[in-house]
Amino acid sequence: MAKEKKVSNKPKVAFFDFACCEGCQLQVANLGESLLDVLGLIDVVEFREVMSEKWDKDYDVSIIEGSITDHHAEERIKKIRARSKVLIAYGSCATLGGVNGMKNSFELEEIRKYVYGDKYHYFDSTPTKAVDQVVKVDYYVHGCPVYQPELVEVLKCALRGIPYAVPDKPVCSECKLNENVCLYDKGVVCLGPWTKAGCNSWCTNNGNFCYGCRGLVKNPAKNAAKDIIARYNLDEKLMKNKFEMYNKAKEVSNEPKK
Amino acid sequence: MKYHVLEKEQLDCFIKSLAKKMKVVAPVSKGSGNYAFQEVKSAQDIAVDYIPTILPPKKYFMPVREKMLDFDLSGKEPKETAGLDACEMAIFAVHTCDLAGIQCLNIVFNERPRDYNYLLRKENLFIIGLECNKYCDSFASCALVNSHLPNGGYDLFFTDIGNKYLINVNTQKGEDFVESIGLPKAGASEMAALEKVRESKKASFKNEVDVDAKKIPEMFEKVYNSKLWEKVGEKCVSCGNCTNVCPTCYCFDMDDFINLDLKTGSRIRSWDSCQFETFATVAGGENFREERSMRQRHRVYRKFKFPVDKFNRFFCTGCGRCSRTCMAGINLKEILKEVAEESKF
Amino acid sequence: MDIKNSNWRIRRGKIINARQMTASEKWFDIQLEDGELDHEPGQFVQVELFGIGEVPISVCSSPTKKGSFELTVRAAGRVTREMHKLEKGDFIAIRGPFGKPFPVRTMVGNDLLFVAGGLGIAPLRSLINYVMDNRREFGKVDILLGCKSPKDMLFSDEIGKWSKRLDVNFACTVDKAEPDWKGNVGLITSLIPGVNLNPERTYAVVVGPPIMYKFVIAELLKKNIPERHIVLSLERHMKCGMGKCGHCQIDHPKNYYCCKDGPTFTYDEVKEAKKL
Repeated sequence: MAKEKKVSNKPKVAFFDFACCEGCQLQVANLGESLLDVLGLIDVVEFREVMSEKWDKDYDVSIIEGSITDHHAEERIKKIRARSKVLIAYGSCATLGGVNGMKNSFELEEIRKYVYGDKYHYFDSTPTKAVDQVVKVDYYVHGCPVYQPELVEVLKCALRGIPYAVPDKPVCSECKLNENVCLYDKGVVCLGPWTKAGCNSWCTNNGNFCYGCRGLVKNPAKNAAKDIIARYNLDEKLMKNKFEMYNKAKEVSNEPKK
Repeated sequence: MKYHVLEKEQLDCFIKSLAKKMKVVAPVSKGSGNYAFQEVKSAQDIAVDYIPTILPPKKYFMPVREKMLDFDLSGKEPKETAGLDACEMAIFAVHTCDLAGIQCLNIVFNERPRDYNYLLRKENLFIIGLECNKYCDSFASCALVNSHLPNGGYDLFFTDIGNKYLINVNTQKGEDFVESIGLPKAGASEMAALEKVRESKKASFKNEVDVDAKKIPEMFEKVYNSKLWEKVGEKCVSCGNCTNVCPTCYCFDMDDFINLDLKTGSRIRSWDSCQFETFATVAGGENFREERSMRQRHRVYRKFKFPVDKFNRFFCTGCGRCSRTCMAGINLKEILKEVAEESKF
Repeated sequence: MDIKNSNWRIRRGKIINARQMTASEKWFDIQLEDGELDHEPGQFVQVELFGIGEVPISVCSSPTKKGSFELTVRAAGRVTREMHKLEKGDFIAIRGPFGKPFPVRTMVGNDLLFVAGGLGIAPLRSLINYVMDNRREFGKVDILLGCKSPKDMLFSDEIGKWSKRLDVNFACTVDKAEPDWKGNVGLITSLIPGVNLNPERTYAVVVGPPIMYKFVIAELLKKNIPERHIVLSLERHMKCGMGKCGHCQIDHPKNYYCCKDGPTFTYDEVKEAKKL
């Protein structure tokens, strides 16, 4: 990036990754046409995937990918938070703990041994936490990976200093408007009825079912799950397993940091 | 009443002539017994023998997302314009239940203060109805509310009379089109065939709930505080499917969207649902329809009681979509039966 | 295609005065380009902040005040928080006025009891000032006011003037106060038994948070004020103001749209609602 760009008064935005696959960062590159418009509004000052520069001042916006899975990560995210005016949790690992949360289904010692062998104590590990279980989060971009149009919406809100409300209604609400054939009509378990919308039912539009990567709505319909299982003659265990794929970390840990 | 005739094998010609004049949408199969109105280019694309589509044709009258206002904040003071993006379009093969749904929406949006977006958009739509000779499935209740027969609301209306369609012409716009493609007028034998279709429908389209429809509003007066709504609420997912697919639900949300220049943008109207958790919540956090039971009760009253008080008609067209789409199996006909039983009618 | 008569078009205005009243409430005086707002007491407007959204706000000034109208806005959501950033000289867009006003004409010749809790004083002030400006049309006037603490009191200068008028009986109370507060401490319901009134010829106009209605109405009924003489202004999220979007429907067997059938109702109209 050119030197003169660094002294511009555009907001300084940095990307950081924690425990994740970095797939959500790739979604930035996949923004296509709107990427140029986005880059016209901000200065990207740190982004390990695409540049080696570091920034030594405060960040206007920090975009955090990945979940917090060891003590070192906890210290690092706290330092980033201290230097950031606005912090965005980006992708399911950051917003919910994501698939990394599946670790929390096991005894920590056992799973460390299983992964690292008998020298496991050299490798620090803590139960998986979402970013908001360690530091205050200002904006959430849910999804595995994030849905690009929502990322753009959240960025616009962050740059204008106004809140972004993640829709608190199920994915079905969008899926129906897209006139997809209901997965249950095809005999497939889909987590759409309990998962937060905002992705424009991206997966089901493309023939897949909803994996629940955006986390549960605030007041998920527990009883309805039983009725749905009964109506479509489904395997209750399969449904439970699907729920645990993304939602495990939130289940065991504390409330978001204010 | 004017009637014309179209040989079934000429349907493709009909659709193609129409498509030369305007965009044509019609029911298309989506698999697993689902259908949707989509753009078609020929008769082959059309699933003439279809059960109610996932979304009703209201999506063309009141788009899922619709721009109500554009704004530009780049000057000293904001500038705004109210515009309409609409193109001429023909909607082919609209069942009588959906024609009834459109009539309900027409009434609502004509009520003052009027909704000019809706009213102007509607003028661009050419509506071609199609009679159901067969009953679609056990979810429907069109005979109860008498929407299994045409009651206006179309430009042209098709009835399958064997190897031909009999076309009822209801508007000058319809007449002009039929004349332009030179469709012959119907004769006595075709009119007799129509009578036969109607006669045979009497046997298959029977009041599904076994209550006198006139008594329904009275029934609902007695069950407002019934436990039955809690039972329905227990099942409810709050996904809004039942209202999104309803041909007469029209509640909406308004949102401002800003473009990436952060200077221009628009006010967007989008479909909303009384079933969503946040629908009746105010900024302070109070939710005035907090329980799922209250929301489900509200939905059903909005079909059988409130619109009767206000517009003297049911806002249920018997299409069965809400029950067909509910994953948890909330069934409107069952609710009506329970209401009837509890109110002792 | 341009829709000239679209009901979504805005009316353009300018903020000619603005003042932070309390930590969470800000007051605005607004002049419209196209003339008077032409409202009646109890009506509301939709304020549009382009790119943020629209909110319904009660007009807090009386139509007897000419040239401009006033709004008092609590920073409660995304739009109202942004609205607090607006200052004197700024552009503002509104739609309206909307809603059924207080029944001022039927109240003529009767005694009036005003009960306001918290931000409820804002919509009620449009009526109180209207009555003050047409004072001889009405009988006895009592004003009861309640708020959290003395520093949360809105329009305190004006309230001071009301309290000094000989043609008005005034009482106020706060939930909590510092020791130097000389007035009443306690809930607003505690003020009602002390009011001397003739129930048959009194209209009680009550505006406050949902929780307040239940208890205040119970006290008024104890005083034998008829249900149809108790007038309320209800809060709902009106998104269109035209009786269509559905958000403001009251959970009631009569299916009122708060924006069109209200926001003012008599108690007998809405008493079946679980939450007022």
